[in-house]
Amino acid sequence: MPSIDHEGWTVRLSREMSAAWAIAKKDMRIYYLKPNIIVMGILFPLFMFLAFAIGKNAPPGTLIPGLIAITLLFSASSIEPVSIPIERRVKTFDRLLAAPISLHSLVFGESLSGFLYSLGIACLPLIVGVTVYSTKIVYAPVLLLAMVLTGFCFATLGTLFAAYPTENVGEVMSMLNTVRLPLIFISGVFIPIAAMPLVGQEIAFISPLTYGNDMIEFAYTGTSMFSPLLDIAALIIFILIFQFVANRLYKKFNE
Amino acid sequence: MNAIEVSHIIKRFGPLTALDDISFSVSMGETFGFLGPNGAGKTTTIRILTGISAPTSGMATIFGHDIEHDIIAARQSMGIVSETSNVYDDLTAWQNMMFSAELYHVGRSEREKKSAELLTLFGLYDRRNDLAHGYSKGMKRRLTLAMGLVNSPRLLFLDEPTSGLDVESNLIIRDVITDLIREGVTVFLTTHNIEEANVMCDRVAIINKGHIAAIDAPERLKKTIQSVQSIEFSFDRSSADQLDDLRGLPTVNDARKAGDKFKLYTADPSTVIDGVMSYARSHNLKVTSITTLGPSLEDVFIRLTGLQRAGGTIHAID
Repeated sequence: MPSIDHEGWTVRLSREMSAAWAIAKKDMRIYYLKPNIIVMGILFPLFMFLAFAIGKNAPPGTLIPGLIAITLLFSASSIEPVSIPIERRVKTFDRLLAAPISLHSLVFGESLSGFLYSLGIACLPLIVGVTVYSTKIVYAPVLLLAMVLTGFCFATLGTLFAAYPTENVGEVMSMLNTVRLPLIFISGVFIPIAAMPLVGQEIAFISPLTYGNDMIEFAYTGTSMFSPLLDIAALIIFILIFQFVANRLYKKFNE
Repeated sequence: MNAIEVSHIIKRFGPLTALDDISFSVSMGETFGFLGPNGAGKTTTIRILTGISAPTSGMATIFGHDIEHDIIAARQSMGIVSETSNVYDDLTAWQNMMFSAELYHVGRSEREKKSAELLTLFGLYDRRNDLAHGYSKGMKRRLTLAMGLVNSPRLLFLDEPTSGLDVESNLIIRDVITDLIREGVTVFLTTHNIEEANVMCDRVAIINKGHIAAIDAPERLKKTIQSVQSIEFSFDRSSADQLDDLRGLPTVNDARKAGDKFKLYTADPSTVIDGVMSYARSHNLKVTSITTLGPSLEDVFIRLTGLQRAGGTIHAID
């Protein structure tokens, strides 16, 4: 059997990426249709959105960008907090920890399944907006980029919370919801940031949803609070921070 | 170069020292048994050697690869079969095999060929497209072992491979392990089945409370406690109350009854044989069989770990 010591970094990277993809595929097959994933990833953001949208006098089509943003938040961050505690309980997570892959690939592969799930789910409001309400998209490539970055950012957030060493899905979900629920109120999804009190505006700057929502808003309307470049930079920084912290937590909790 | 080299490993969990300065080595192609009571440190040792957990201090290498700094290369040579049959219930046996092969970077054509071979070997090929959820305990165990072999490992960690299995699964798994040993695969075996270790292992280590109490070949370990020999015999009529009388015979250290047989432990077998014959004559009994036995590996294990026998089983003190 060849040692991987003397192989080039491209071979090593290719192996790591294919192992990460294998983890993502496994999660897709097993978890995408689990009832608690459907509830937390699809129904929860939909009902949350309806609770705020009904009664607003805005045309339904204008609410689509906000719905896409919170769908990305909830669906992307719902896979790993369910799958990883279950896998700890049935000991299949040990398989991943003992595989010849780096912890980075493990975290990346886990995040990838949440990310792809969120992209698929977020396409539903996008399609409804285009086909039912004829909502115009001004910058389609920006929308695509916004969805990719926002989805991956929150998928990594879900993987990060799932690092908590428990076999109980409820424990991880409770912790995650203490962060996810406040985010939708302080990120300009329901209340424009400019209309929030100063303290709220300052807190909004540390929410990744602020930048994701702002970029999606820009893609639909051509106007936004921040420059799209700033949104992109902020989302990339959040992804890197979440990936780094998730790696450290998985390492620490498995010692 | 040894397959496994462990040097002064200490592992602490807060105030608890799970492994206290353990050192040992396993040669290439060797079958090495790792025995110990529950909580002795067996699983912690395996978790460290497979890189899941890091030691507090000390070092270990797998085929020369440092487990802390070069763990990915070390893991590439390993197959790991954990105590729990950790297969994915919501995947088919084939999907489980493919996933395991992908994690170990086995190429597409090789992974399909190898998976078909292994599933056939373990009697699962005809049910390869069934979800593992519907498998029996023995079938899941066989699938776990097949997944552990998909990367053709040079070193196989087997944690309780045959514990609680049906006869068919037990025989299949033992045959496969025997073949692997013949092919030169290094096997690191933890088991509660001491007879399994006695039959299969070149050497065994007995670990207790985080310390290695002994490492040697099973036969050499047995010679260290020649004082624990035994006489096994049966009478034409046996009853439980005879046990107390037999326990009182000269030089008998311990006595057990298993089925229609009695087993008396002693350092002086000839005196005990005389005593048994006298007892049979005085109680009008016939001795239908009698055998002198040397110490078993189980006896060594009990002596070194401080466990106690109760009835026919072993009970942990700790």
